[in-house]
Amino acid sequence: MAEAIAPPRLGVPAFEQLNTRRVATWGSFIGITAVFVSIIGMVETFSDRLLLDPFLDLGDLALIWIPLVLGYTATYRETLEGMEPPRKGIHNIVGGAAAGLIGGGVMALFILLIENVTLRDIFPNVSPELIDLLNFGHGAGFGVVAMIVGGAVLGGVGGVFHLLDQSTRAAISSGLLWVITISLLELIVTDLVEEIPGPVEDWLYNNDGALRWGAAIAIFALFAFIGYATRSRKDRSGSLRSTIAAMPEHQRTGVGLVAAFLLIGLGFALPSMLGSFTNEILATVGLFLLMGLGLNIVIGLAGLLDLGYVAFFAVGAYAVAVLTSPSSPKFDATWPFILAIPAVILAAAFAGVMVGTPVIRMRGDYLAIVTLGFGEIARILFISDWLKPTFGGAQGILSIPSLAVWRWVISLTLLVAAVMVARFSWQRLIRPGIEPAPSPRLRAAAAGVAALIAVGSVVAATKIGIDGTFIVQGTQPKLVFYAVFFFAIIAAFISWRLQDSRVGRAWMAMREDEQVAEAMGINTTTAKLMAFITGAILASFGGALFAAKIGSVFPNSFALIVSIIVLVLIIVGGMGNIPGVAVGALVLVGILGGPTQPGLLREFEGFKLLIYGALLIYMMLKRPEGLLPSSRRAQELHQEEVMQDAWLKGEAGQAETEPAT
Amino acid sequence: MAAMLTIDGLTKAFGGLHAIDHLDFHIDKNEIVSVIGPNGAGKTTFFNTITGMIRPDDGQIIFEELDIVGLDPSEITRLGIARTFQNVRLFPNMTVLENIMVAQHSRTRRGAWSAILGTPAFRREEVEIRQRAEEVLSFFGTRLTGYRFDQPAFTLSYANRRRLEIARAMATQPDLLLLDEPTAGMNPRETLELTGLIGRLRSEKGFTIVVIEHDMRVVRDVSDRVVVLDHGSRIAQGTYHEVSSNPEVIEAYLGKTQE
Repeated sequence: MAEAIAPPRLGVPAFEQLNTRRVATWGSFIGITAVFVSIIGMVETFSDRLLLDPFLDLGDLALIWIPLVLGYTATYRETLEGMEPPRKGIHNIVGGAAAGLIGGGVMALFILLIENVTLRDIFPNVSPELIDLLNFGHGAGFGVVAMIVGGAVLGGVGGVFHLLDQSTRAAISSGLLWVITISLLELIVTDLVEEIPGPVEDWLYNNDGALRWGAAIAIFALFAFIGYATRSRKDRSGSLRSTIAAMPEHQRTGVGLVAAFLLIGLGFALPSMLGSFTNEILATVGLFLLMGLGLNIVIGLAGLLDLGYVAFFAVGAYAVAVLTSPSSPKFDATWPFILAIPAVILAAAFAGVMVGTPVIRMRGDYLAIVTLGFGEIARILFISDWLKPTFGGAQGILSIPSLAVWRWVISLTLLVAAVMVARFSWQRLIRPGIEPAPSPRLRAAAAGVAALIAVGSVVAATKIGIDGTFIVQGTQPKLVFYAVFFFAIIAAFISWRLQDSRVGRAWMAMREDEQVAEAMGINTTTAKLMAFITGAILASFGGALFAAKIGSVFPNSFALIVSIIVLVLIIVGGMGNIPGVAVGALVLVGILGGPTQPGLLREFEGFKLLIYGALLIYMMLKRPEGLLPSSRRAQELHQEEVMQDAWLKGEAGQAETEPAT
Repeated sequence: MAAMLTIDGLTKAFGGLHAIDHLDFHIDKNEIVSVIGPNGAGKTTFFNTITGMIRPDDGQIIFEELDIVGLDPSEITRLGIARTFQNVRLFPNMTVLENIMVAQHSRTRRGAWSAILGTPAFRREEVEIRQRAEEVLSFFGTRLTGYRFDQPAFTLSYANRRRLEIARAMATQPDLLLLDEPTAGMNPRETLELTGLIGRLRSEKGFTIVVIEHDMRVVRDVSDRVVVLDHGSRIAQGTYHEVSSNPEVIEAYLGKTQE
């Protein structure tokens, strides 16, 4: 790669590379975005949250990133594989600065405007406080100058990024990213460092929860170094992803298995280190992960765009509510949660058939619209007077007992799980004489992880014991998380097993070309119903846990937004990929928050939907395969690049030139 | 010898257009029959009606003494008729191997439960499916084997896509194979190779084959019998030489000379 980076050439010729129109466009984007962020009240709301002691708050950050990132984009040109990379030079800096200058100019005009004209009637967020924030409390003149100069400088700094070589760039961006992340996620970090002896927390954060300077510099240095090291490793031996992709299949599955075990172990260890608020968030993440995995089967595997997924969530919740609550209008008996589960499964399967049958002959957009309608119908049925005698109408059903399980069931499950993990690792990875043999390192890792999980499960089982009932109260988020996580593991396991089976392949074929799938002997009616039912059952588990956690169900908890969030999380995470769905749930629900539940960034509460939308648009444009895609889907969405690579390597068209045999 | 497939008075109209008009057709076991005719003669519609993708307005399709009109495409495939498509229609984002494995759907049984539980029967069947898939692909030499197993189908070259489509049809374990323009878009050498392959499909695998083809050299080399369609009805049939000198056929292709 060394020769790919041309030395920056200074002087006039470089300016021929400057695309003034592009610079002007991105400059106005900077201005528009900055004005938008100010008008909707982000700057003002966020300014209460101090990030970096003593002066950088989230509001500043909401503005600063714009000229920095877009200043970089202003002179960005794609490097096509096999083509000469665009020349770099002083024009990058000038272009960035110019774009920043234009953006700053727009902001300056905005300041002048709001100083002289009252816009509060239309934009309630344009308050005197905002004006003060934008001109730093020194009057409009100072604000105007600060915006223009600041914009130009930051834009220029963004442009400088082009001149840095890959490793330096990786180092700086990784350092910055982690400083921001650690300052933003103060909540979870403090929970985690509490475990470490010594006053680490005080050293990291001040009393307002803002990162201290010294800590920020240390973190930057640490992660810049890590970023640099990873980057050079990547240059030497390719990314971790491609290393894994290049492994022979059995080795790859082995690594995947060990990683999955490790994550499961981590999932069980994590809640004990976190506080109750973060655990609450984690439980919500688990709930959405469960639903995401279900929807991933319906959309990601079978290709059925179901926008009414919340209906199944509601069915699960109401089934539990009716069966277990003493105050459910129709049904007095109070079943224990465990006994309600089979009923939940039946109800969900029935709902899956009810939704699936009418739409058997529909596909694509039509299917989406009809299922969207079904989602709303479910909510309206639950709220209706007609079904009020059973489901309580708008008042919902109250006093649903907490999830209660016999202790021996938990202990037994843990022991069985321990045995299964151990046996699985032994048979697939550790046992001598496996053909083809896993690498010694993988063997050792598998043995270690399996032992860890086995010991952990046995210790947990002895702690829980076998006498009496274990009650998972909704007010103990840690226990709720364990329950949710257990079901999420089951869901992930089911998805994983189905993916590589006859049923999963039939779903994939149906997603690719329904008519041909039918012509190849697949009964698409059955396959579709199967997909709907499987998805419905997984979502209903989510609903059941939700009802037991909250202790009450109301029709309005099952609004369209739930379906949308589940869909967005699998798109953002990576459709068709189980770890991708997990990442999506963590990022979206964990950090930004669910439909009514807060996330780690409570400041974002009011702007959640805006950020969802922005994230979705960005992902669709730049990374349609999601944050953590299955390798195949990444290829599919970058087909042209794959083909181009193949062409350059001389692979494509090979068959045509092969001598006929 | 008893006919494997007998078609009587098959009719299908799209609006006022008679795509198939009282067509009679039959094919015996182990025969290779070419169906030719000018564009729009109803050849592909003919295939679509046999495989159940289009329901005919009238007529009988008897396959192995069973009337298959009105059955679902998947049921017809299960009975033993498989096809390829004129415009290659693979499952592009599934791997080469998966394309073949999924085609064995109607010959295998294990459902969701055994997959989730990973029962021994399920694992045995998976191994069998994989082995059979590799076996089918090895029919095409090394072109679709080795590292190509795990490549998504869309990365294949055009000729290999056509081959994979034939392999996929073979994997449904049919008795009757319907090939819709298997050599379309191939270069002369590939065409020649495929001509030999069609012969091998019969001699080695025992398939009975109906092939729609435009390339007359292929038609000449592979077919026992040629059936000529025009405007949805049969205008001639016989050996290649009989048909190629038939004035009606020449007229259908070239038009009537002005008198």
